[in-house]
Amino acid sequence: MPLVDSVRVAAVAVAIALAGAMPVLSQEGPLCPGDLDGDGQVTSDELVTAVERSLSGCDLQTVELRFRGRVGDLPFACGTTYENAGAAGSRWLPTDFRFYVHGVRLIRADRSEVALHLEQNAFQNGDVALLDFEDDSGPCSNGTAATNAVVRGQVPRGEYTGVRFALGVPFERNHVDASSAPSPLNLTAMFWGWRGGYKFLRVDSFVILDDDFPEFRVHLGSTGCRYGRPLEVAGCTRANRADLRFDDFAAARDVIVADLGALVADSDLTVNLPETAPGCMADLGDSDCDPLLRNLGVDPADGFPSPPTQKFFRVEAAE
Amino acid sequence: MISSLVRRAAPLGILACAAFSLLLAASSARAVEPWVWDTPPRFPLPKVPDDNPMTLEGVTLGRFLFYDARLSGNQTQSCASCHRQDIAFTDARPVGIGSTGEAHPRNSMSLTNIGYASVLAWANPLLLKLEQQILIPLFGENPVELGLAGREDELLQRLRDDARYRRLFAEAFPGVDAPITLQNLVRALASFNRSLVSHNTAYDDFFYRFDDDALSDSALRGLDAFFTEKFECFHCHGGFNFSASTTFVGNQFDEVQFDNNGLYNLDGQGAFPPDNTGILEITGNPADMGRFKAPTLRNVELTAPYMHDGSLATLEDVLVDHYARGGLLTPDGPNAGDGRTSPLKSPFVRGFSMSAQEKEDMLAALRSLTDWRFVTNPRHADPFQPAWCAADCDLDEEATLADVHDALAVAFETASLARCAPGDGNGDGAITVEELVAAVAGVHGGCE
Repeated sequence: MPLVDSVRVAAVAVAIALAGAMPVLSQEGPLCPGDLDGDGQVTSDELVTAVERSLSGCDLQTVELRFRGRVGDLPFACGTTYENAGAAGSRWLPTDFRFYVHGVRLIRADRSEVALHLEQNAFQNGDVALLDFEDDSGPCSNGTAATNAVVRGQVPRGEYTGVRFALGVPFERNHVDASSAPSPLNLTAMFWGWRGGYKFLRVDSFVILDDDFPEFRVHLGSTGCRYGRPLEVAGCTRANRADLRFDDFAAARDVIVADLGALVADSDLTVNLPETAPGCMADLGDSDCDPLLRNLGVDPADGFPSPPTQKFFRVEAAE
Repeated sequence: MISSLVRRAAPLGILACAAFSLLLAASSARAVEPWVWDTPPRFPLPKVPDDNPMTLEGVTLGRFLFYDARLSGNQTQSCASCHRQDIAFTDARPVGIGSTGEAHPRNSMSLTNIGYASVLAWANPLLLKLEQQILIPLFGENPVELGLAGREDELLQRLRDDARYRRLFAEAFPGVDAPITLQNLVRALASFNRSLVSHNTAYDDFFYRFDDDALSDSALRGLDAFFTEKFECFHCHGGFNFSASTTFVGNQFDEVQFDNNGLYNLDGQGAFPPDNTGILEITGNPADMGRFKAPTLRNVELTAPYMHDGSLATLEDVLVDHYARGGLLTPDGPNAGDGRTSPLKSPFVRGFSMSAQEKEDMLAALRSLTDWRFVTNPRHADPFQPAWCAADCDLDEEATLADVHDALAVAFETASLARCAPGDGNGDGAITVEELVAAVAGVHGGCE
């Protein structure tokens, strides 16, 4: 595309973004060229993407980020009991393993970032994707048969050497009417209604003791949310979203491992603080949450991202 | 045989006549019917969200859903399991017990006038709409109540398999291809909840219907005392709904109020038990320790035990042991402490002396807020129980020719099933000829 046309496309996108939301004709695709996800709004991310696309001649490539659900070095599978989990080396039966990511970006060698524009499907809506490793079988019966271990989208063709994404649902989509939200934000197992949002991460499990099978759950979402004027959630004292960045990652070569073993490595699974949820449901007074949050890359003191403490995700060469 | 034919002949005559007039009135497009409030003049109306208007069809659907055990994961409980009409939609337990046997930390709240609540639940400033709140008993996991988390497809399939729900949903939410959705289920439940308006108390007869004899002298003295600075009740339980967290049509500001009433003081600093810290649990603000909503006192006579954790058995306990003392003393056990000395306690809970007569007057005042009509009204009752009269289409406890007209209209599908849900005796979503005959015979026989 000649440069003058590119600039014109970009200018149109800017004008539309400034004009605010545009109506969308669902049968005929978005009216609005910059509204890449068809939600009737042109966000700044979409604007940047539109400009980048126009400058690159709209030469796009599809990228698939492959995730792997693991417990230590073993694949996560419903019904499998894992040995030596947590700080006390417990026998452990995880029964649910799902989390949301959003704001996925690929990183160029010059450290500039490009938004991955997500394909829209049952597991991806807007820039939110659900990674779902449980398949509803056996003890995972609270789940869904469908699983999803990839995040798929498009970026301008080019060389990318890293990846960045956030764990969780973005603030602007976390406090909507969940009963009418599109998939994957309509899964009731991920509702977090009492807190006014979604569970960003859901891990359920049983600890296998000689004489007991106590539950250990990790349900993470934003807490301390409050209304402003007009009456909508204006903020949360603890966002509890993690910011993940891997500077040496190639989508064709590598996978992103999400490791439940690393998540609970510093938690004694056999002990629960009395009068708190079994495991951690992000209660402010539940110190069982602290090591789990740290390993997710969230500061237990304030809910801000804490990348240096993050152990849950790692990059490995695809097997 | 002959006598039964004779008995059927007369109703069928009525039927043919009514059918004729009905066919004249039949119209092909059917709209939802706006809900008609039966409140007395000047009695405020609940606010209704623009995107979930009150309709006869929505309320009727919501009533079926409210009483349906298919709305729990293991199909053992419905909303009504913890919200029984006969005791003003409470459960007489200290705390609710969910479908899996898990105890809730808190007392099942009365649904009396729940549509007027500006904030829902005991202590959650985020829950301002019934449409939000309803998701919590359905899908909450800490604690499990109805136990449906992760089972929404199963739930909706149960409803889609039921012919009556197929009709009720289609008529409550017309013009869409697949109306049996989670959002519509929640909307209908919210509508039924908003229909639970209590306005037939002695208090209402006195203040809204101008019946000067409705209140005893004792109750009048008690109400006067209720609104004094000696007893201070009205600061938290004021207004027509006897709760500060009340809103209604025309109210420009949705007031939301939470107070620490001095029920506990575990550490001398005002601490409440760790599983019931009030809105602190949500806000994380230490100053919010023990702050709960003051619920409506309407029907309070029927909603024992009291307080957010059901820890006080009777109204006398509430008045004498707690409020007159200026905060409860828990002498021993894990919750030991003197609520009277809590630094977080509301300044209005400062204690008072109360003569035996004043106590009786206050109790009489509280009992004047009991609405016996509300707790027996068929419009709030379990629709799965056999109707007293299949012909009482509008549930006004009379069977009239107008009811027969409605039953016919439903049978001919020119009116929505909500116009005569009791007429569908076998629950297949239609009024068959046999059901119509039964209804007409009922009217003819006076439904005795």
